[in-house]
Amino acid sequence: MSGNGQLFTVGVDVGSSAVKTAVVRMPTEGGEEVLALRTDRIRRRDLRKVIAEAYPLALSQAGIEAGQVAYAASTGEGELVDFRRGHFYGMTTHARGAVFLDARVRAVLDVGALHARAMRIDSRSKVLGYRMTSQCASGSGQFLENVARYLGVSLEEVGTLSCSARSPEAVSSICAVLAETDVINMVSRGIATADILKGIHQSMAGRYVKLLRAIGAAEAHVLITGGLAADAGLAEAMRESAGGDGLGMTIHTHPDSIYAGALGAALWGGFRHRVLERRAAAAANREAP
Amino acid sequence: MNPELTSLLDRVRELAEDLDFTAVRAWKDEGTDRKAVGHMPIYVPRELIHACGMLPVGVLGAGDRLEIIRGDAYFQSYICHIPRSTIELALTGRLDVLDGMLFPSICDVIRNLSGMWRMLFPERYVRYVDVPQNFSSEVGGTFWRRELEQLWNDLAKLAGRAGGDDELRSSIAIYNENRREIRELYEARSREPWVYPASELYLVVRAGNVLPPEEHTLLLRRYRDLAAQEPGRHEQDLSRVVVVGTFCEQPPLGLLLTLERAGCSIVDDDLLLGLRWLTEEVPEDGDPLDRLTAAYLTSSCETASVYQPEGRRGGWLVESVQHNRAEGVIFCAPSFCDPALLEQPMLVEALAAEGIPHTQFKYSENTGQFAVIREQAGTFSDSIRLWSEA
Repeated sequence: MSGNGQLFTVGVDVGSSAVKTAVVRMPTEGGEEVLALRTDRIRRRDLRKVIAEAYPLALSQAGIEAGQVAYAASTGEGELVDFRRGHFYGMTTHARGAVFLDARVRAVLDVGALHARAMRIDSRSKVLGYRMTSQCASGSGQFLENVARYLGVSLEEVGTLSCSARSPEAVSSICAVLAETDVINMVSRGIATADILKGIHQSMAGRYVKLLRAIGAAEAHVLITGGLAADAGLAEAMRESAGGDGLGMTIHTHPDSIYAGALGAALWGGFRHRVLERRAAAAANREAP
Repeated sequence: MNPELTSLLDRVRELAEDLDFTAVRAWKDEGTDRKAVGHMPIYVPRELIHACGMLPVGVLGAGDRLEIIRGDAYFQSYICHIPRSTIELALTGRLDVLDGMLFPSICDVIRNLSGMWRMLFPERYVRYVDVPQNFSSEVGGTFWRRELEQLWNDLAKLAGRAGGDDELRSSIAIYNENRREIRELYEARSREPWVYPASELYLVVRAGNVLPPEEHTLLLRRYRDLAAQEPGRHEQDLSRVVVVGTFCEQPPLGLLLTLERAGCSIVDDDLLLGLRWLTEEVPEDGDPLDRLTAAYLTSSCETASVYQPEGRRGGWLVESVQHNRAEGVIFCAPSFCDPALLEQPMLVEALAAEGIPHTQFKYSENTGQFAVIREQAGTFSDSIRLWSEA
């Protein structure tokens, strides 16, 4: 904690493929400032160790020390965050992070490695309704990562390649196993990599738009968060799918979208810190003679 | 983690997962003619069994560790899981270690299970323990005193030795100490839930179902000391909740872990009620059967299977929320549990009158998927922490 009532808070979003850490300065009067953001890929390493190593690096990037942190919050698979003071559920943190990144947001699509979740929210970031993809992996980032590996392209190249596609090739949108078989067949038929990737993005986008429609976000300002938010190809396919559906929803991304969970955790942490401080002060007043 | 705490927790986990009741067998093997008497969850006067030199053994079903092959043939699909897994345990010989079996009056299903037991195992001692639902000393007291006397005589016969009043008074003292230790552990957990996670505390208390009470008391005490000394168990800002509905069929350990991982600190619950049924100490002087009778009438905890006069149901839950400074209640009842599910609307009404938030879901002792429960508990936890003051 620093002077003038401002707080330093940290959010740690433990996902299945990466740990995202955010350090935020929260002045009393509002106007929160992001001091540091970092992503650490897990890559089969000891997760507790990855988290513990990322924390001091994030603090150092922010120019603060652990003793100055008023509230460190976890989200995602947060039980391994030993230094946490509190934990918030992923839906709550992505909603808060999304509104922080773009105040016009009224629906969030959180696309992680293992699932996607659509949320309808209000201006305070309160979740009003949500839907998740089923357990099928074809709607997830992990599936896209696997396909990129089969095609011999890096994850960073996927979006650009997809956007350059001329004749997208449709893939199965139901089953990851069948979709992967589709991809192998396409490669052997000589379909261009860009067209394969675009086809996959279109398939995923179709499912996500259905999720958004199911939660009543047909005319909402939608922000994509989670690991796949950085995938420009997916965002473009989403825009096409939403437009093609005749819906009024608008699809957006933000450069820091992948940190929405970590940012939300840090911001909610600051909120809770102040609530607890108020309660402690009220209790002290009650006990005072 | 302190290696002693690790080993203590490993041991209680093994005891909970051991469907062969190895600890009970080991206890019996340590002496000649030792006998063990099993009982279903909720209250039986364990003191009577203990005073006859026998080991009371709580039978809590088979959890998620036994495939039900024959048990399903005994119960319709709309009956809860614990009776079918208990039958399965018995039919596979795992309960042969028990020389007798008591079935307290939890619900019709457990009462019927006692009848099945009589038919399936005619050579073993079986008794339906019909606890009174009338709490006046003239009616319920007279009835319960007679029941206890009958049970006392039966157990003495089974043990092959008559337990005397002195032995019973001594057993009462031993169980008083055991219940006191459990109560103190619960109070400590309520003060500092981050020191005593529910997933640990549950296993430590649960060990009392298969260990002699003297040993269990020492275990409880040691756990409390070791957990308190454990570095890294610092204060956490999680939602304080009371979990209700788990008094008979036990939730899988994974469910308790899921609630904790979703951001909930369980500060009170109705798990393993039978081990802490009497909320006050039973006087260790006077006529011990009279004392046990009076204790049941005046110090029983309140739960779904116990009669409550109209309008009183739920009072205990509101009191628990207030006493434990809980922020919400999670109704977590086994599927098809009539007592828990029929009581729930009345409890909800009592909470609503006080503006206490709550959520509800169902489980079965062999539930293996907790994603939906995690989703629900996580959003509930966040809603009470983030929006209750909005």
